[in-house]
Amino acid sequence: MTALETNTEPRREPPSIKKPRRVGRWILFAVMMVVAVVMLYPFWVMIITSLKSEPQFLSGGGFSWLSWSGLTSVIPIGQELLSSTIVCSSSILIILCVGLPAGFAFSKLRFRMSTVVFLVIVSAMMVPLQAILMPEFVNVTRLHLTGGYAGAVLVYAALGTPFSVFLFTTYFRGVPDELIEAGIVDGLGYFGAMWRLVLPIAVPAIATVTVLQFIQIWDDLLVGLLFIQNTSERPITVGLAVLAAGRTTSIPALMAGSLISAFPAMVVYLGFQRYLVKGLTMGIDR
Amino acid sequence: MTTTIPTATAPFAPKARRMTLKRRRQMAGVVFALPAIALVVCFIGIPIGQAVYYSFTQWNGLTSQWIGTATWTQAFHNTNLWTALRNNGLLLLSVPFALAIPLCIAVLLHQRVAGWRIFRSIYFLPTAISWVVLGLVAERFFAYQGTLNSIIHALGFSHTSTNMLGYESDALIALGITFVFTMIGTNTMLFLTGLATLDPSLEEAARIDGAGRWRIFRSITLPHLSRFIQLAFVMTVIALFSALFSLIFVMTGGGPGYATTTMEYLIYETGFNQGDFGTAALYGLILFVITGIIGVVQLRLIGSNE
Repeated sequence: MTALETNTEPRREPPSIKKPRRVGRWILFAVMMVVAVVMLYPFWVMIITSLKSEPQFLSGGGFSWLSWSGLTSVIPIGQELLSSTIVCSSSILIILCVGLPAGFAFSKLRFRMSTVVFLVIVSAMMVPLQAILMPEFVNVTRLHLTGGYAGAVLVYAALGTPFSVFLFTTYFRGVPDELIEAGIVDGLGYFGAMWRLVLPIAVPAIATVTVLQFIQIWDDLLVGLLFIQNTSERPITVGLAVLAAGRTTSIPALMAGSLISAFPAMVVYLGFQRYLVKGLTMGIDR
Repeated sequence: MTTTIPTATAPFAPKARRMTLKRRRQMAGVVFALPAIALVVCFIGIPIGQAVYYSFTQWNGLTSQWIGTATWTQAFHNTNLWTALRNNGLLLLSVPFALAIPLCIAVLLHQRVAGWRIFRSIYFLPTAISWVVLGLVAERFFAYQGTLNSIIHALGFSHTSTNMLGYESDALIALGITFVFTMIGTNTMLFLTGLATLDPSLEEAARIDGAGRWRIFRSITLPHLSRFIQLAFVMTVIALFSALFSLIFVMTGGGPGYATTTMEYLIYETGFNQGDFGTAALYGLILFVITGIIGVVQLRLIGSNE
């Protein structure tokens, strides 16, 4: 594995062989437009609905900025965005700080039983939180970590660590042993070798882990719902879900909030698409 | 750590030095791996063990009392468990759609019509959005005054109205349709990556030999994609068992009745709404076994490709 960016673009075909029939191309284009309309439907609903006041929404027609101008009175959007940001960045930081050295260890500093330990950690990827939800919740509550962000951050970090260990280990296997040995001989020490030699080449792997985890944590409901008990520290996704479950909320305002919550993840997504693709196909696309 | 520590007086000095170096390297490895191991053991490993223990107890989160296999017999006589398992089983019927539709879209994108890059970004865009938000939109779509009824009326059936989320028989179908929609982006991405690794000269050779489009797709494209289809299949099934919580929470709350309660939602419902932590822990174990089996299948798939 050389680089983490995989292109989803098909290989270029010699133009002489492929002579597209014009009519066929137009039909194809039309079908793709239809699919595009379906995939853009959620955004259309959110935008159209958010631009109505509540009575207008119920009656069907009309246009109003009311749900946007009065948004903060329905959803504490600023605080929720801040909470989401804090939870996301802290969790990702822990995942990286824990996953990168472990990946380095499992690929280059193999110790007794390291393969077994590696496999056990990787198989933890398969454990859904719901399967261990009850003990996890009770443990974190007993440690008094559900008051602030700490509990949720630790749970997210633990759930994200197996994948990051897997990705870093696979990635570092491509790094030549000689590089590390040379660093050790030069007196860098193991920490120095990791900091000076491994970290700089790990940037694409770090990007993949960060992007995947950002979208996962930003979009998650269950952990934030249960492990952040304080309503004034709720992340945005949890805030929206709880409001929606209440069934009394103004739907235009809810849609405006949804649009805001979707924005950061979409930006990250469009900006770093290639890293995401690579992360998804890890283990089969080498 | 059973390696003998060589002393300075060891007869073969160079070898001894290598041994210490190896030992130091191993020690560094243990130290570097330890934080990750600790995190996974504390927050995933130990809770699995606890779940096993608590599944034999009457547990309300504070005090637990050992009641042996009574929880198990009670749980297996509880119709909710079977309803949830049945719902998960019925939702499995949506998996073929969650694979076939993205496969078609990926093949379309692979034709590289004008603007295919823009189309690709558009198709992937819903993948970035939280399933909470997609659930909210889906709820609007299926609602009595929602888009679905508008479409039905626009097609001329002005006296027909649906309220899929309101009826036990239809709510699960609505959930399944939403699930298929949410999986389109990810699976299309997987298939498109697979298509990108396909050698175009193979298709050309087949075309020169007179093979039609369908024949090329069936004999060359599809076999080439088989690994990607397997991976997408496993990922979709895992999502079905462990990622529907957000959708259910905002769309139906598990209802009407228990019509859209899946295993994962039943765990939440039993634990946090009914306060029966012991039974919820037991349901968790059942889910753990199900996903474990799927996981073994996936590891097999990944392993067989190395």
